[in-house]
Amino acid sequence: MSFTKKPGGKALDLLQHLPRITLGNLRPEPGTRKPEKRRGRGQHGGNRSGRGHKGERQRGNRPRLGFEGGQTPFYLAIPKYGYNEGHSRRPQYQPLTLRRLQYLIDLGRLDPTQPIDLTQMVNGRGVTIQPLKRDYGVQLVEEGAGVFAAKVNIEVQMASEAAIAAIERNGGIVTTGFYDPRSLAILCKPVPFFISGQPIPKRMFPGEDMVRYYTDAANRGYLADPGKIQKARVALAQKYGYVLPDISKDELFHMLSMRKDPRQIFFGLLPGWVVNMPEKKILKPTDEKLLQYYST
Amino acid sequence: MAAYMLCRRTAMFCWAIRGLSSIKSYIPVSAQCGLLQQIAHYNPKPLKLNLKNPYIPDKDSENTPEWQKTAKYDRKLFGRYGFSSGVNPAELWPSHAQLEEMIAEEREWNPPLEVLLKNVEAKEMEANAKRLAREKLIAGNMAKMPKMVADWRREKQEAKLKLKEEKARRDRLLAEARERFGYALDPRSPKFLEMVSDIEKEEKRKRS
Repeated sequence: MSFTKKPGGKALDLLQHLPRITLGNLRPEPGTRKPEKRRGRGQHGGNRSGRGHKGERQRGNRPRLGFEGGQTPFYLAIPKYGYNEGHSRRPQYQPLTLRRLQYLIDLGRLDPTQPIDLTQMVNGRGVTIQPLKRDYGVQLVEEGAGVFAAKVNIEVQMASEAAIAAIERNGGIVTTGFYDPRSLAILCKPVPFFISGQPIPKRMFPGEDMVRYYTDAANRGYLADPGKIQKARVALAQKYGYVLPDISKDELFHMLSMRKDPRQIFFGLLPGWVVNMPEKKILKPTDEKLLQYYST
Repeated sequence: MAAYMLCRRTAMFCWAIRGLSSIKSYIPVSAQCGLLQQIAHYNPKPLKLNLKNPYIPDKDSENTPEWQKTAKYDRKLFGRYGFSSGVNPAELWPSHAQLEEMIAEEREWNPPLEVLLKNVEAKEMEANAKRLAREKLIAGNMAKMPKMVADWRREKQEAKLKLKEEKARRDRLLAEARERFGYALDPRSPKFLEMVSDIEKEEKRKRS
């Protein structure tokens, strides 16, 4: 009796002796396929076919949803209040859980060795953004903070405090950046924009209501002071009770410290440049006024 | 452009701008431990630019629709077919006049960051000032409250006492009248009033 186990073991044995898999050898897992309900067949399904006895129910003439037989229905009795007023004009931020982020990184759809941007997320089909439906980007949500264990340099449009803590605990960097609707559309679908032959526009600043959010170091805003951001990192580590890892000693420090300029939409491309897809060339303006405009 | 090459603010992190590598057709991912290498083979949709038989409209002919002679369409032609489309690349950017318009529009609708922050601060200060003023007013009025309450209570009590006094006086006068005339006299009658005036005169004489 040999004590060495052969690799594969019983599975390999089975594989060698059982016949090859064909359509005739397969069967779905019991419980996955439920037979559909067929009305009007058989002793129990027939007769009234599950419609009840006479009346509007059997004859399919029930009144509309919400009707209460003439009594003022609930949806009309309750008085209106402006909860939903202007709802279609409110900015929306698609939530991205840390769990989903980890899932995408594990499957290889997002590359943690490069800065993760909204473009990367859309390319990896991680999130779906509709810039025309008042979406202003992506917000990081802390669900899944317990399972998150990836070191990333991520840029989102909003982030909750616990999510920021979870990312920084693993040695990553979060930045919140604002994209006005045109820049957001370009960021989500860069290739159709390049094909349209327009120069890359400047990113506009947030409005008066959001500028406070993006100048705050606690939200890791892109307009905030970097010194204050470092202090905020330390403070957050103390608040959530973890040791803040030192990024400067990391091998990927250069990648982690990559950040976009406030007027820049893409890494490596500046406003004013034209990207030519068929010939794979970049055209830059030389006119003084244009240069001055595009560099603010 | 050079402004971007210098750091705008003294940054803890180096905000160097690196060029993107060419569009990858796969995304290699290496976990930090270095043991696993997961590669997701992401095949992007093929970009059909139709470079073999491009449609480049004839600018001089009358049959071509107007919209195919505009600058916007020229930019799209250049974007799709590149230099072979026959478009002068200098026309891709706005002309000086258009640039002036863009700058004016931006100045009005998208002011620079400093102006924005100043406006926000001004609004906040105003709101704060209003709130402070209101709170001061409320605090001042609340401080006056105990005194006002005491005053009001005192007044009420005085009024009550006066009423009592008045009633007592009227009772006394009625009793006096009853004593004098021998029957219950109506206080509204002239006899009663005469009697009241007499009593008052006597009291005045006594005092003086």
